[in-house]
Amino acid sequence: MIVGAWICLLAPLGGALAITLLGPWISRRVAGYISTLTTFLAFAGALVAFFGLWSRDADDREHLSTAYTWLAAGDFQVGFEILVDPLSAVMMLVVSGVGGLIVWYSMGYMAGDEEERRFFAYMSLFVFSMLLLVQAGNFLLLLVGWGLVGLASYLLIGFWHRRPEAVAAAKKAFIVNAVGDATFALAIVLLIWSTGTLELLGVFAEVDGLSNTTVNLIALGLLGGAVAKSAQIPLHTWLPDAMEGPTPVSALIHAATMVTAGVYLLVRAHPIFEAAPDIQSLAAILGAVTLLVAGLVALVQWDIKRVIAYSTMSQIGYMFLGAGIGAYGFAIFHLMTHAFFKALLFLAAGVVIHHLNDEQDIRRMGGLKTALPRTHVAFFIGTVALVGLPPFAGFWSKDAIIASALARGDALGWTLFVACLLGVLLTGAYSFRLYFAVFQGKPQEAAAQQAHAHERRGEGPLSMLVPVGVLAVLAAIGGLLSIPGVWHPFTHWVEETGEPLVEATARQDYLVSAISVALGIVGLLLARRAFLRDRQLVTAPTAWRIFEHKFYFDELYDALFHRRAAGLSHALRRRVEEPVIERSLNEIGSGTILASDGLARAQSGLLRTYALAIAVSVSVLIVVFVAVR
Amino acid sequence: MGNVVVWIVWFVAAGACLGSGIAVVSLTNPFYSALALIGNLASLAVLYLLLAAEFLAAAQVLVYAGAVMVMFLFVIAYLGGRADAPWAGGSPILQTAAVVAAVALLVEVVVVLGLAWGDDLKDPAEVSDAFGSPAAIGELFLTDHLLAFEITSIVLLVAAIGGVVLGTTHERVDDVGAGHARPLQRESGERPL
Amino acid sequence: MSGPGVGWYLIVAAALFGIGSLGVMLRRSPLVVLLSLEIMLNGANLALIAFARQHGSLDGQIFALAVMAVAAAEVAIGLGLIVAMARRDMPLDVDQASALRG
Repeated sequence: MIVGAWICLLAPLGGALAITLLGPWISRRVAGYISTLTTFLAFAGALVAFFGLWSRDADDREHLSTAYTWLAAGDFQVGFEILVDPLSAVMMLVVSGVGGLIVWYSMGYMAGDEEERRFFAYMSLFVFSMLLLVQAGNFLLLLVGWGLVGLASYLLIGFWHRRPEAVAAAKKAFIVNAVGDATFALAIVLLIWSTGTLELLGVFAEVDGLSNTTVNLIALGLLGGAVAKSAQIPLHTWLPDAMEGPTPVSALIHAATMVTAGVYLLVRAHPIFEAAPDIQSLAAILGAVTLLVAGLVALVQWDIKRVIAYSTMSQIGYMFLGAGIGAYGFAIFHLMTHAFFKALLFLAAGVVIHHLNDEQDIRRMGGLKTALPRTHVAFFIGTVALVGLPPFAGFWSKDAIIASALARGDALGWTLFVACLLGVLLTGAYSFRLYFAVFQGKPQEAAAQQAHAHERRGEGPLSMLVPVGVLAVLAAIGGLLSIPGVWHPFTHWVEETGEPLVEATARQDYLVSAISVALGIVGLLLARRAFLRDRQLVTAPTAWRIFEHKFYFDELYDALFHRRAAGLSHALRRRVEEPVIERSLNEIGSGTILASDGLARAQSGLLRTYALAIAVSVSVLIVVFVAVR
Repeated sequence: MGNVVVWIVWFVAAGACLGSGIAVVSLTNPFYSALALIGNLASLAVLYLLLAAEFLAAAQVLVYAGAVMVMFLFVIAYLGGRADAPWAGGSPILQTAAVVAAVALLVEVVVVLGLAWGDDLKDPAEVSDAFGSPAAIGELFLTDHLLAFEITSIVLLVAAIGGVVLGTTHERVDDVGAGHARPLQRESGERPL
Repeated sequence: MSGPGVGWYLIVAAALFGIGSLGVMLRRSPLVVLLSLEIMLNGANLALIAFARQHGSLDGQIFALAVMAVAAAEVAIGLGLIVAMARRDMPLDVDQASALRG
């Protein structure tokens, strides 16, 4: 079982190294095979670990395995250790499973690209980093995985490095994430200082003994990292720009796995957050705000991938909300179902984009249900799962979170509950707006022409269609792992690692389900009505402007931070760098030349001058000798 | 009485020495300068005799005045008119500096001598009559200072070879009269020397 | 018989040295420079022989003999150089031979 976990961790690393080292000696297709096969091998390892864990008793399900001691300073020790417990087993399965499907898909999507090998090396690097993150047995190793996924994200967003927009987006993602990394690192410093250890289990045992301020600061630092990585407000600005990367990247990193790392952290470190309840509630509030803001912005986007990106941001808000109120099992459950249907949506969108020759503007799409029937079905399933209509996956997971909010009961609980319901309405509206715009109606002129051009290809190669199909099946039935009131294998499994703080009653569950389904259908109908009348859902010009500018966050940050920093660096360059440093270097150079010119004059070549010099120095030396005696 | 004679001889010789020295440096015609130097050497030989260095005085006259100066006079005669160069040149600063330096040297030495006049330079050692005789010098050369003797001979050999080399010319058969003498000349294609 | 003490001879030697160095530094004709050089050498020889007398040791005289031999060798080479210069129609002027200029 432990071996399975290690294989799960190291197989993608091996794949990445193999592709990097074999470089030009393997074909592009072989690179894709290496990446896909190692990721599925990781999935096999994860299965072994999972079943190994399952076969043990419930109180024997926490296993630490250390490879070697990495750091040792006095009493403080950090090892390269992985933790195999129910939570990490689930995350391993999701990451390697969905990851494997997406890497397989990208063999078809990225075929023909000049730098395919680099792509697959980066993808394997990412899978390894994410697995390291979820399997880490101590905070330092977690931070290492955290940083590496950030690196992989940067490399993959900027994969088409000749596009300036892609490069700018990659930088933005890395820099915003760096803010979160900094708070995370500070939290780790506090942990070392106050508890003397970084092992997850060790830290959790010590948490009760810490002062209030310390725990609050640590939790705040961890939350900062989570907010940045999961693109929640206020560190969310990088996610829409990250859509510059190839579609499989958007599916894997910015929907299914990396952005959920923040949720994983909130659940994993729940003892710390439970000891700092204000911060935990803050997480829930941030989640609620994000889910509303993102939902509103998604109503006015024209790029198909951006709509799905904002949808991701919104759904992760739900997960943050769930983790913030203590519904750990449901937060992770929603994480898993979201991975299924969001990856499905992205991959299906990828088929559409590929089919239309890289067209991403939905105003130029339409009526694709005839040209892409199977993709149409898949996309529909994904949309319905996202909105949360039964019996598809999102229904079971999202409503469970909403019911937990209701079950909380206090003022915060009611606010969160209302926010969740509004979010459901928005989700229905924007997702079906997207669906209708892309697949229904009459095919657009340009779209029709381009579609004709590609009809020979059919909907796409098998490598693209099979993963989409598998994900569609998962999005359809994946939610059945937790039926309220009937059976809860998934949540019970995860909750071994963290007891939930709230439990909804059966009545609350049914009530919430009914309301949210109703709201979802209302959203659908609103979208349909707007589509049939060829109008947009948001017509008021001010509202449109605010939503379109994403609530002016980018402009705010630009004015607050970027302009100040840029101004400072320009001023420094003008006042310090050029006049002082550069010029002084030049002066040193020309001074040296002047000095050497002057000295060169001593080499006159005249014999008599040399003789004179000798005579003079001899007389001086005589004086010196005599004086010394 | 002998003392006075010695002093008179000394003054004459020293005066001739210094006077001829100044003459060497200041006369324009190199020929006259060389003749003045011969006078200088002769008066130096007298001074050597006063210092009980008979062999050296003889060697000075024979070698220096007899051979070296003759060689000088030969060369000056060969060069003829080309030996006339401007008396001196260079910036006035350099000239003044040269004079100052030379005077400074002299003054310094005098000062040092003055300081040591009473102590180190007092009584010259007692010497026998054989002091400075050819036998004594020859014996030293072949025993204590054998190395210096041998090395000096090698130096003379090298100088002789050098003189011969400097003097040879390689005139090409088809280039007679070109006067471009370049010893150690290597034609392209020839094996290097 | 006593005469002037060693010191007097040394003064003469120093004066000769100074006169010679003046000639080296001031004159432009290489022949005269060479002659001045000889004067300097002779001044040194005089000093050596004077000290040999003072200490009663013949080492100074041996040294002076060696100096004489070396001076002869040097004059031979120097004159060879001057002749070579004259053969190539180079101006016999120390100031013009400034190929060491740097």
